Amino acid sequence: MNSTHPGSLADRLQPLLLRVERPSRYLGGEWNSPDIPAESTSVVFAYPDVYEIGMSNLGLTILAEVVNDIEGASAERAYAPWLDMEAEMRREGIPLFSLETKRPVASADIFGISIPHELTFTNVLNLIDLAGLPLHASDRTSGPIVVGGGCGVTNPEPLAAFFDLFVLGEGEEVIGLLVEMVGRAKSQGWGRTRLLEEASRLRGVYRPDDYLPEYADDGTLKEMIPQSGAARKVTKNLVDLDDWLYPTHPLVPFCEAVHDRLNVELFRGCTRGCRFCQAGMTYRPVRERTAGEVVKLVDELAQSTGYDEVSLCSLSSTDYSRIVDVTSRVAQVCEHRRMIMSLPSLRMDAMSAELASRLDRGGRGGLTFAPEAGSQRLRLVINKPISEGDMVDAVMCAVRAGRRRIKLYFMIGLPTETDEDVAEISKLVFRLRDAVKAEKLTPPSFNVSVSTFVPKPHTPFQWCPQITGDEIRHRQDILKATLRARSMNLSWHDREMSTVEGLLARGDRRLGRMVENCWAAGGRFDSWSDHFDFERWMRAAADSGIDPGYYLYRQRRPDEVFPWDHLDFGVDKEFLQAELSRAMEATTTPDCRVAECSECGVCEGLSVQPVLKGSDS
Amino acid sequence: MCAADSPLRLRVQFTKQGQARYLSHSEYARTLMISARRAGLPLEYAGTNMSRMKVSLSPPLPIGVTSDCELVDFNLTSYVPAAEACDLLGKATPDGIAPAKCRLMGPEAKPVGKVIDTAVFTAAFPETVGGGELEDAVERFSEMSTLPYQRVQPRRTRTVDIRAGVHGLEVVGETEGRISLKMTVDDGIAGTIKPWEVVEVISGMAGIGREVWQQAEVNRTGLFSRRGDRLISPMDTGAGRSGAGRGARGVRY
Repeated sequence: MNSTHPGSLADRLQPLLLRVERPSRYLGGEWNSPDIPAESTSVVFAYPDVYEIGMSNLGLTILAEVVNDIEGASAERAYAPWLDMEAEMRREGIPLFSLETKRPVASADIFGISIPHELTFTNVLNLIDLAGLPLHASDRTSGPIVVGGGCGVTNPEPLAAFFDLFVLGEGEEVIGLLVEMVGRAKSQGWGRTRLLEEASRLRGVYRPDDYLPEYADDGTLKEMIPQSGAARKVTKNLVDLDDWLYPTHPLVPFCEAVHDRLNVELFRGCTRGCRFCQAGMTYRPVRERTAGEVVKLVDELAQSTGYDEVSLCSLSSTDYSRIVDVTSRVAQVCEHRRMIMSLPSLRMDAMSAELASRLDRGGRGGLTFAPEAGSQRLRLVINKPISEGDMVDAVMCAVRAGRRRIKLYFMIGLPTETDEDVAEISKLVFRLRDAVKAEKLTPPSFNVSVSTFVPKPHTPFQWCPQITGDEIRHRQDILKATLRARSMNLSWHDREMSTVEGLLARGDRRLGRMVENCWAAGGRFDSWSDHFDFERWMRAAADSGIDPGYYLYRQRRPDEVFPWDHLDFGVDKEFLQAELSRAMEATTTPDCRVAECSECGVCEGLSVQPVLKGSDS
Repeated sequence: MCAADSPLRLRVQFTKQGQARYLSHSEYARTLMISARRAGLPLEYAGTNMSRMKVSLSPPLPIGVTSDCELVDFNLTSYVPAAEACDLLGKATPDGIAPAKCRLMGPEAKPVGKVIDTAVFTAAFPETVGGGELEDAVERFSEMSTLPYQRVQPRRTRTVDIRAGVHGLEVVGETEGRISLKMTVDDGIAGTIKPWEVVEVISGMAGIGREVWQQAEVNRTGLFSRRGDRLISPMDTGAGRSGAGRGARGVRY
């Protein structure tokens, strides 16, 4: 263990490692670990889940390499310690430490916490507390500035009290500016208040203290009032992928991470316009890398990591404008380097299935598709108009290529859904099986995974109520009763976890106390079903005077002010409202890559254009 | 001569020290496989889609125990000089894991996982432990013909005869003021006696408290195949008729 840095806790940690499960989570020193200079502007990036999950986060990998490329700056990592390690650390009085130098996180200059989703909120608080920092931003007068980022900051309001700053959107550029500013603050002796004031003027940096919520008598938000000259809206960051190097020396962990493979990003953003999809709305516009760059990256990264599998990732990989070309060229690299290529996030059509079957030499026996809804009507409502013919073609293609398992993702609780729509999920799966039988082929096994729809901010369904726990159970029961066959396996998400997720997703600042109460009562690892405790959340809500039903089951007025309205992710609220109306009429909106502009407001508002590299090499 | 139709096995002795001792067996195996890929060795793959690297590993080392001798066989598709392989692996392994020796084995050599049945460990006790109390306990242990030991595992608890699995036990001289226990135990295809079990039993007989013996530093110094009273290192066997080392350099990839 590296113990050469002043303040390193390595010697104190060593005895703990033999008393905890999987000590490799706390070692650091993986392949491609950077040398950390003792004197530098230090950033610790933390992920509020265990090492194996955090190590799979591509965003933190990118940001760490950006920071390490800055002269005089260094990036280190911290992850949520598992319960046994947390108990040992608290018993021994050891604070949260970075894996690279084993220094306390509190000694860093910037403590960046990735917020992947709502069920990590208690772990986020635990990270701050374990670091030995006061939980509330207002109580912190020294130590690192605590910055939040990631998908979870599309509505960070329930966590507003605990963070100094949030970074909206893509962080490559702004993290460099922030590091440079902190370096200047140190050399010029700025106070914490001045640093935060200056930092809040950076593009995409949201300082919760700069906005004061005012509530109406009915409990709804009346207005977020900007303080001391803050802008009315904070606009997300967006980067030109051509201006930023992709990390070529990602860390390779000793243990198996959940995504244990090389990840090469094909493009960012998606304009398919699925109305339930938050990422599809908030990561716009589409920006592709050239096929040549992708191929070069695969080759370089294979050499620098030693991985035997590469994943060409994006929100919808087969939508890449030169997908056939890039996959055949990457396949040659894979052949040479004895690697397997995989394509996640497939559209459910024959082309995607054929491509995946042809290129995924490893096979692994299965393919995964996400039709999302069982009936054609509901697929039109959510703007994912896959025809049943396309689905049959995709399944036939997969079966002919030797696939023995098909995994299908569906959602229940989508707006306008009826019991018939739910039953249609089962009927659809049976029709897919029968189509294979009709061709005298052996049907694959169908693994049907059903999650509960949670309305998310910045999507057309942000006005819609979530279905109640009883209704979730009723719809799950329909599926349990109808989806019964030897070759079919049904799995479903915990309805209570979906309920808490929904509560936090569209919450406001008043929920901060509830999150804190839940954490104080022992809430940890809420996204792990065996550690999630619904009763604890409900007790925390009651103790904080929160009525969950108000946040979950209420149809919002069209003109309602949302707690996230002052956070601009590019898509106009008017567009979202229009999309909701079109959803209620089961009318689709085509992808602007192949049809006319849908006027979502991103290109005009952010002064950008989609970047498609169809003609580039 | 091309070795492609005459499979080669690269046998490597690694050391596992420092923070690498906290890696579990599966993590260690993964680390070696990634190292071999990074080293650019001409590795052989198996499985339906040729996706599984053909390797054979020595018996698992308990977490926290260091080792001077961890053995691995990599199957190769073409010839690479042992010294060059050792050099390439040395550059590809992470801190704490390093190749000490490499040699090429012939196709008839058994995989290393199928020949090892004995391991030698040393356990260095804290300075507070004196040699006399340990020597007395070792003598009494050696005089026993059987000694039942209750092995508690996550899924079951069973009783094993720990005496039958210990083939040699001695107190070795002080090093830097610390007394060590050297033990030759079953490890591998003949069953396994864990070094901590022997340390626990001997410490119990010597009246050494748990909080003291748990501070002992255990190290695996050798892995062997037992033939009668002789211990044969797998690094010294198996190359007799292989012709390994005579292949042509030019056919490497």
